[in-house]
Amino acid sequence: MMKVAFIGLGRMGRGMAHRLLGGGHDLVVYDVFRAAGDELGKAGARVADTVADACADRDVVVTMLVEDAAVLDVAMRDGGLCASLPKGAVHVAMGTYGVAAIRALGAAHAEAGQVLVAAPVLGRPDLAASGQLGIVSGGPSDAVTRVQPLLDLMGRKTFHAGVLPESATAIKLANNMVLGCAMVAMGEGFSLIRKYGVESQTFYEVMTEGLFSSVAYKGYGKTMVDQSYDNAGSPITVGLKDANLIAAAADLARVPMPMHNIYKDRLLGAVAHGDGDRDQAVLAREQARAAGLE
Amino acid sequence: MKIGFIGLGRMGQGMGARLLASGHDLLVYNRTAGKTAELEKAGAKVASSIAGACKDRDLVITMVADDNALYEVAVGPGGVRQYLEKGAVHVSMGTHSAGAIQSVTAAHVEKGHAFVAAPVLGRPDAAASGQLVIVAAGPADALKKCEPAFAVMGRKTLEAASTPESAIAIKLANNFVLGCAIETMAEAFSLVRKYGVDPQVFYEVMTEGLFAAPAYKVYGKLMVDASYDKPGFTTKLGLKDIKLALAAAELVQVPLPSGSVVRDRLIGAIAHGDGDKDWAVLGKEQGRACGLD
Repeated sequence: MMKVAFIGLGRMGRGMAHRLLGGGHDLVVYDVFRAAGDELGKAGARVADTVADACADRDVVVTMLVEDAAVLDVAMRDGGLCASLPKGAVHVAMGTYGVAAIRALGAAHAEAGQVLVAAPVLGRPDLAASGQLGIVSGGPSDAVTRVQPLLDLMGRKTFHAGVLPESATAIKLANNMVLGCAMVAMGEGFSLIRKYGVESQTFYEVMTEGLFSSVAYKGYGKTMVDQSYDNAGSPITVGLKDANLIAAAADLARVPMPMHNIYKDRLLGAVAHGDGDRDQAVLAREQARAAGLE
Repeated sequence: MKIGFIGLGRMGQGMGARLLASGHDLLVYNRTAGKTAELEKAGAKVASSIAGACKDRDLVITMVADDNALYEVAVGPGGVRQYLEKGAVHVSMGTHSAGAIQSVTAAHVEKGHAFVAAPVLGRPDAAASGQLVIVAAGPADALKKCEPAFAVMGRKTLEAASTPESAIAIKLANNFVLGCAIETMAEAFSLVRKYGVDPQVFYEVMTEGLFAAPAYKVYGKLMVDASYDKPGFTTKLGLKDIKLALAAAELVQVPLPSGSVVRDRLIGAIAHGDGDKDWAVLGKEQGRACGLD
């Protein structure tokens, strides 16, 4: 049993925290919106009033916060993680952040005698709730080994990226990029066949019963066929946030990524056309606009 | 059925053998003699000209390599257009440009012929085992006549739309999506490599997650192993197909920015001497672009 704090109780975080509690760990939870911890409190977690309160005497703090600014603030402000965690504690950062943020976070923890493990997740809230996430870990081997029992409760599999936290970030961002570019390519493919009078459904079957028989193509391809963009699983604006992180990571490492740039520009176009809150599959409509179809 | 088959490359050999094995009356022709030997041994009759291959045939199938060969065989002097019999159907099963298919269609229509485009998805092994996917388009009654032949060459036939070039659009779009997936993986691998990640780990993340599909498993593995020397499909052929997709797109005013990127990377790979390697060598070309390879 470990003494664990969990900070950031959004849809993903709540499911993940429940898994830790179910695994018998001593859990303290915190969220800026205190009510987000109610359910976990009822299930046996202690609900902390402040970050400092949550971190006192913890072996591990897990954060699941939405963006760079949020995790940097929680870590570095007065009474934040760096100031409040005991020496030797591990911060497992499980959100999707930029390389620069992860580097800054790692340096701040090192200075405070703590260790950062980046462990971004692959999967949506239903997988978080059932402990079936994919997890990519990056950090010093001994720290990763220490937190592995926690990762095993939250995920079906951990992929170890390397000893630097940012190596896990790179994998997570690259995976998102591959998904985004697949959507762009599908969008282009659909606009081409539509102009030749072909039903989108027919091309969908050719793809998904052949070389592209995977979740990415079946899920987003179906959304494109049905043009059901209003139920946003992953909205354009979130895609754009990640696309900017990817471009920044590529810039830092000096990697030209021409396909990624197309994806990023199509996201910007979709926002410009008022589709920012729609599902990312709306990139197909953005491409159709470019071809004069819509 | 009485079938004429023109074009006995690696794909054509397998498709012809399937037709023969299922009892069709097969008459074959190839411009380069010698390629007919194997099918002849298996019981096919051999014609010495296109005219001969069209004689008394219900269907004439052409499976030729490129647009020039199609023009020559279909509409050139002594071609299928000249000798196709009344009520017979010409089925073009190669991958051609949308423009060429439009021209051949027009030429046949002028003579009152039925013409079907039916490009196939799959490699020679799928052709030999009758496991191709056939995408067909043309007049409804002509498609109906093709059914028995399609049934033994493919595991599935999909109908595109009413014009023959609509079948071509699907075939080219599918190859285009594959080209994009290959270039995308190449970029992603180069990014993770720069952050010290073993490509195999990223391969597992992709193929055990959102991308558990042949395109990613096969081409991703070739990139992980940097194994480009036994080409299933070469860089040069990849460039040919992407250019066909871009041309088909231009014909109907569809910008394909991803296609343009793939085309340029393929040209770069050829410039670096990788034209005859597997087109997964885009992994290396992207590695070069960021100073890794």
